[in-house]
Amino acid sequence: MIGNLLFHVLYPFSRYINSRLAETSGNAVTPAVVKATTDWDGASLTVSLLPSQTTLVHHSGETKKRVEKEKKHAPKTDMESHEGPRQDADSEITEVSVLQRDAGNPNEDSDKKQDSEDGCSSTVDCAGLEAEQLKSLQTQSHVQEEKLTAVEQIQIQTSQSPAGSSEHSCSAEGQLHTPSKKNLQTLAETVSEISECWDEYTLLSGEETYNTASAPQLTLSSLPSGTQAHLQCVEEHEEQTCWHFPHGPGLTQEIQCKPWEFPALSYYLPMEPAEQLEVIWRVWKELSDCNAAVERIPFQFSDGSMDFTVMSYNILAQDLLELNQYLYKHCPLEVLDWNYRYNLLVEEIKKWTPDILCLQEVQENHYREQLHPALVEMGYSCIYKCRTGTKTDGCAVCYRSKRFAEVSFTKLEFFRSETGLLNRHNVGIVLLLRPLVAQGAALKESGPPLCLANTHLLFNPRRGDVKLAQLAIMLAEIDAVVKSCKVKGEHCNVVLCGDFNSLPNTPLYQLIVTGELYYQGLPAWMVSGQEDLSYKPSCHRLSAPLLPGSLGITDSCQYTSVNSLKAGKCRYSHDFMLQLRFCPAACSRPPDLVLIPGVTDLAPDASKPNHYPQRFRDILQHRLNLESVYKHVCPDVDRPEVTTLHSEVGATVDYIFYTPKRTCPSHQKPGEKFPGEGLKLTGYLSLLPEDMLWSMNGLPNQIFPSDHLSLLARFQLDLNIS
Amino acid sequence: MRYAFNESLKDDDSGDHDQDQSSPKDSETIKIEDDEKEQNTTKKKMVVPGAGEHPLQYNYTFWYSRRTPGRPASTQSYEQNIKQIGSFASVEQFWRFYSHMIRPGDLTGHSDFHLFKEGIKPMWEDDANKMGGKWIIRLRKGLASRCWENLILAMLGEQFMVGEEICGAVVSVRFQEDIISIWNKTASDQGTTARIRDTLRRVLNLPPNTIMEYKTHTDSIKYVCLLSLLFSLHLLL
Repeated sequence: MIGNLLFHVLYPFSRYINSRLAETSGNAVTPAVVKATTDWDGASLTVSLLPSQTTLVHHSGETKKRVEKEKKHAPKTDMESHEGPRQDADSEITEVSVLQRDAGNPNEDSDKKQDSEDGCSSTVDCAGLEAEQLKSLQTQSHVQEEKLTAVEQIQIQTSQSPAGSSEHSCSAEGQLHTPSKKNLQTLAETVSEISECWDEYTLLSGEETYNTASAPQLTLSSLPSGTQAHLQCVEEHEEQTCWHFPHGPGLTQEIQCKPWEFPALSYYLPMEPAEQLEVIWRVWKELSDCNAAVERIPFQFSDGSMDFTVMSYNILAQDLLELNQYLYKHCPLEVLDWNYRYNLLVEEIKKWTPDILCLQEVQENHYREQLHPALVEMGYSCIYKCRTGTKTDGCAVCYRSKRFAEVSFTKLEFFRSETGLLNRHNVGIVLLLRPLVAQGAALKESGPPLCLANTHLLFNPRRGDVKLAQLAIMLAEIDAVVKSCKVKGEHCNVVLCGDFNSLPNTPLYQLIVTGELYYQGLPAWMVSGQEDLSYKPSCHRLSAPLLPGSLGITDSCQYTSVNSLKAGKCRYSHDFMLQLRFCPAACSRPPDLVLIPGVTDLAPDASKPNHYPQRFRDILQHRLNLESVYKHVCPDVDRPEVTTLHSEVGATVDYIFYTPKRTCPSHQKPGEKFPGEGLKLTGYLSLLPEDMLWSMNGLPNQIFPSDHLSLLARFQLDLNIS
Repeated sequence: MRYAFNESLKDDDSGDHDQDQSSPKDSETIKIEDDEKEQNTTKKKMVVPGAGEHPLQYNYTFWYSRRTPGRPASTQSYEQNIKQIGSFASVEQFWRFYSHMIRPGDLTGHSDFHLFKEGIKPMWEDDANKMGGKWIIRLRKGLASRCWENLILAMLGEQFMVGEEICGAVVSVRFQEDIISIWNKTASDQGTTARIRDTLRRVLNLPPNTIMEYKTHTDSIKYVCLLSLLFSLHLLL
């Protein structure tokens, strides 16, 4: 009560001081402020892994190090007795962080830094234990420190304080068991300690406590904008994110921290082998607004809808890895070992247990001997298609047989000997599934069918034409599946995923998401955008018609046979009719055609197909209405996401596309016509920016077993459509 | 002519050929007229798809007309000015004719191309047309060739999905603008006309500000009669 009162009285005052603080430079900090922050420092210096903390250490430099080294030894033994009961519970986490710390900084700086960080941690301990001592120590340190450092410390506290919710159970004391060198890391997590410190202070002197309490607000306005943003970021994260796998305290902050707040990347601690350590590098993003606090029940059929997850993962075939070793020179040898990678892979799949799993670069012998048995054991049914020719890898689609029933599937081979264009050995799988719904003890097929397509398009950056043709085959097959459902009066949802070997917003990508592409004159390398080959004097350009007639696929990415006599109707698409324009039968002049000069005296000329703009023929189209799950920019840090990374490339080339719910049909009957059609994206596993991956030593590493990241999305399917 | 229809039914084997846009009487009259015009070719009129060709749902006939400017077209002169170019039954046969015809955009003078189902004359008075109407799109110069091609490909490929309602299409090359139109049987069937309009918009890739208007043939007849009347009066006075 009194405290409250005091807070309200003192808050404006502290604001005032704060503004003074902001006005004046570090040298002019008033004693009162210094004192307030001193107390606070005791508690909040626990922050360790945060970038701002690193900054602090960086800036405070030698002086502080020395000061704190002096204090280092005092608190340890005392703490043990004080916080004894908590130690056991926390020790595990402590170890984890120790390992993490261990893994850290291979460079020389690390020792120095550790020292100084240790210093910080001991300060904390002091704070928790003997306030008097702390005070004197802190004062001492502050006297010796530059004023600038003090200000920085304030900032750190502030940025840390919102994260100080009690969800973190690890205590600073726990760490004291561990060798002092490693203490600091764990301290990062001990935000709960703050409140304990407050308690202590209250005993001592109410005023001080409230000074401390007001510190966060106090410093807010004086924070540099970067820190504020970070603060905000942490707050937001606490509101919205839903963690999907167990994680240690403090890791949340770790993920949230912005890479650019690191003074140098080397300060960000790369990982060394540490199996016990579960670091959450990738965050699950909830998108569904209505059920923000979704409890993930495996079988969720709330009000006629069903949630399911789809993972797409290029797992890097061992043969290809060995063939292209130069791409993985940055990796320690052990992470390139197949069995090592395999274990990580299976762990990752187990962790997420996606309902549908689309794998690329699955080496056939590994699939047969290891992966398939393991997946079957996890409850998956699998379809595998090995690449043709001499290739040893292929694509696999696996679905949990408790969630989906298979209707049909097609294994596609993109190699067509009769065409010059499709001379590459890539494959795809198109699978038609039907959701299974639990009815009592039995599972029953229910709801609209789901067409699932998985492919791995040609890598060669120079052969965009081949990629487009391969994609056209894929889209034509999906179209046929969708049409086969339509004939039965059912709407078929589509999920198309895989490694497309094309960057976002390139022509190939545009074709998928916008449904059309004008390709006449397009340089072939530009289709995928993997490399800028514009410097090359002669580059192959695309020209119409792109798809050879023998392929049997129209420019609308549909099988020509679909257009011919169906249900007694002779319906032909525009593109189909155009394909026959210069067929031999059409080029001879009809004998009964009267010659009228200026009217019927034109000679067909295939080399000049049109007198009017070319673009109306040089188009690839499809009608599938696809959207990408990922938006290709990390929302928190505003940088490009990457799905693959090795020594030459870091880029997005993997995608999950899906048919989204039509929000508002433009027809007269809004919402009536397609009530349950389309999929609703309710969440996805965030990707990482390139620099963050490099800070983990690139890919593959001890956490991610492939040179690609897995893509994971959760969709909601409406079961109530007729 | 009726015999010919039966034959096409047999050939096509589609089972969906209950087209009766030409009443027996109508066929008769056409036959008579055709006989009058080109007696020797009447037997060949009913074309069939060649082996291995892609049959069309209906057979179509190309027509061409050229008007002397300055005089309003009385029905009589119109019928005299219009020429049949040829009929076809498959996609391949269509291209044979189309490829040898000048694109509408390159036509000179006051000319029209008509593409109508075989047996329907491109005239308001035809039985298939007399209750009908047409969608009219006025195009600035330079668009007619593409729009015409898109329109007839959609029509031949049965993209309009209005059963047998479509009668044919016309492109009219005029001095300052070109006009394309598509004719249907029943002007009063608003569901059909709306559907035709929507399909047109989709297949023609029209500029967004293009205006489309629907005209019933009875209105057109009245209008022309009025004009003729005025013109006669003008001559008289």
